[in-house]
Amino acid sequence: MELLVYNENEMEQLGEKIARVLDHNDLVYLIGELGAGKTTLARGIARGRGYAGRVTSPTFTLMNIYKIGNAQINHFDFYRLNHDEICDLGLDDYLDREGMSLIEWPQAGENYLPEEALFINISLVDDDYDRERIVSIITRSREYQEKIKELQELC
Amino acid sequence: MKDILILGIETSCDETAASIVKNGCGILSNVINSQINIHQQFGGVVPEIASRKHIENIAMVVDNAFKEAGLSYQDIDGVAVTNQPGLIGALLVGLSFAKGFAWALDRPLLAVNHLHGHIYANILEHQDISFPAVCLVVSGGHTSLLHMKDIDSYAVIGETRDDAAGEAFDKVARFLGLGYPGGPAIQKAAALGKAGKVKLPRVYLDKNDFEFSFSGLKTAAMNLWKKMKGNEELAVFDLAAEFQQALVEVLVEKSLKAAKIYQVDSILMAGGVAANQHLRLLMKEKAGQENIKVFCPSLPLCTDNAAMIAGIAYHQYITKSYAPLDLNAYPGLLSL
Repeated sequence: MELLVYNENEMEQLGEKIARVLDHNDLVYLIGELGAGKTTLARGIARGRGYAGRVTSPTFTLMNIYKIGNAQINHFDFYRLNHDEICDLGLDDYLDREGMSLIEWPQAGENYLPEEALFINISLVDDDYDRERIVSIITRSREYQEKIKELQELC
Repeated sequence: MKDILILGIETSCDETAASIVKNGCGILSNVINSQINIHQQFGGVVPEIASRKHIENIAMVVDNAFKEAGLSYQDIDGVAVTNQPGLIGALLVGLSFAKGFAWALDRPLLAVNHLHGHIYANILEHQDISFPAVCLVVSGGHTSLLHMKDIDSYAVIGETRDDAAGEAFDKVARFLGLGYPGGPAIQKAAALGKAGKVKLPRVYLDKNDFEFSFSGLKTAAMNLWKKMKGNEELAVFDLAAEFQQALVEVLVEKSLKAAKIYQVDSILMAGGVAANQHLRLLMKEKAGQENIKVFCPSLPLCTDNAAMIAGIAYHQYITKSYAPLDLNAYPGLLSL
């Protein structure tokens, strides 16, 4: 599915809707250039899961963890990493464990990161940051396809 | 009373560092082995390389700290190490080394939060700071304002809601093709340009609180660059100058506002971005007009170092707040 998002508030609201169709250990990839709105969308998803604290860019820390009762969201950012480094992170420990994972800049992990996931692509219109964003949500997995259908009904 | 000598070890990010500090304020040695040259090729910190280089460096760096201080291993009273926050692989190198060292010498292990260390860098050089104070912590991973009742008692009164100031510097520098690390690269480019020729927003959010947001400024700078590209060759310097000005103005104004509201007469600065000359000058100038004193560590103590770790750990040693040998490292989970 594809939709247009006109401002930061709308991006967060979209995240909250996405959160409603996700399960507690789902995997979401956030793809888009610097400043596209990936962290904003991640914040919306965290809000939608009931997390009220700070959701900031994990570029420097590589990973933030948000705890909501017994559940948790792992917020990754691989902007600074290449393929080998992503393989060396010990990511399986997190992806196998309980918790939803949101991964910004997953591109370098292609062929290593699981494909069973929601792929969210955020792109600029006419290469202009002042304009709206095109958000396209796709998946190759049947399970996630169902979630996209549910999301379409919410949007 | 006998002098207390603490060995500090710091490997949370770029630097492999070791230092010996006497009684919490006398720096006997301060050795830093930077990995910045390697990282420059990649445009950022690369964790796996960071930890591998830390392993290669650490024994030599610690040894040099003893040589520089003219001391032998047995002379020290405790081993302090950064165990949070930072890159996990990198933290573990320093932590494991420190545990082995402490165990072999039968000295207590002292665990330090990297950010507490940065704040303490002020005390290392200025014993005349009067508390309460406000402290601005600005680095690649953090942008926070603290209200400090004392050196070890403080509350976070504001933080960034998205990007840290240092992260914005790094990303914009990379986008403009100015290099890494972004802070010094932008500062250098800004010196060749003029702020105000192009316009970027000052993002204050609510003027009455101490929250920061640098993501919008980053995007605005990148957008302007996309539109300017190819039009004018020298424009990159003006853009760098305006970006630096926009970011620094917000940091200074919010710090001053906090000082006024909390009625303190000192502002402390800490973290790598506190090395930015423009920030230091503007903070001192504006605070001076209000009779507020500004303290910032000297440049070598703004960036990551182990003297701040050994310094603050002295107080833990005195109160016998030792860490167990099964101490763990914590990456970016905990802040202040």
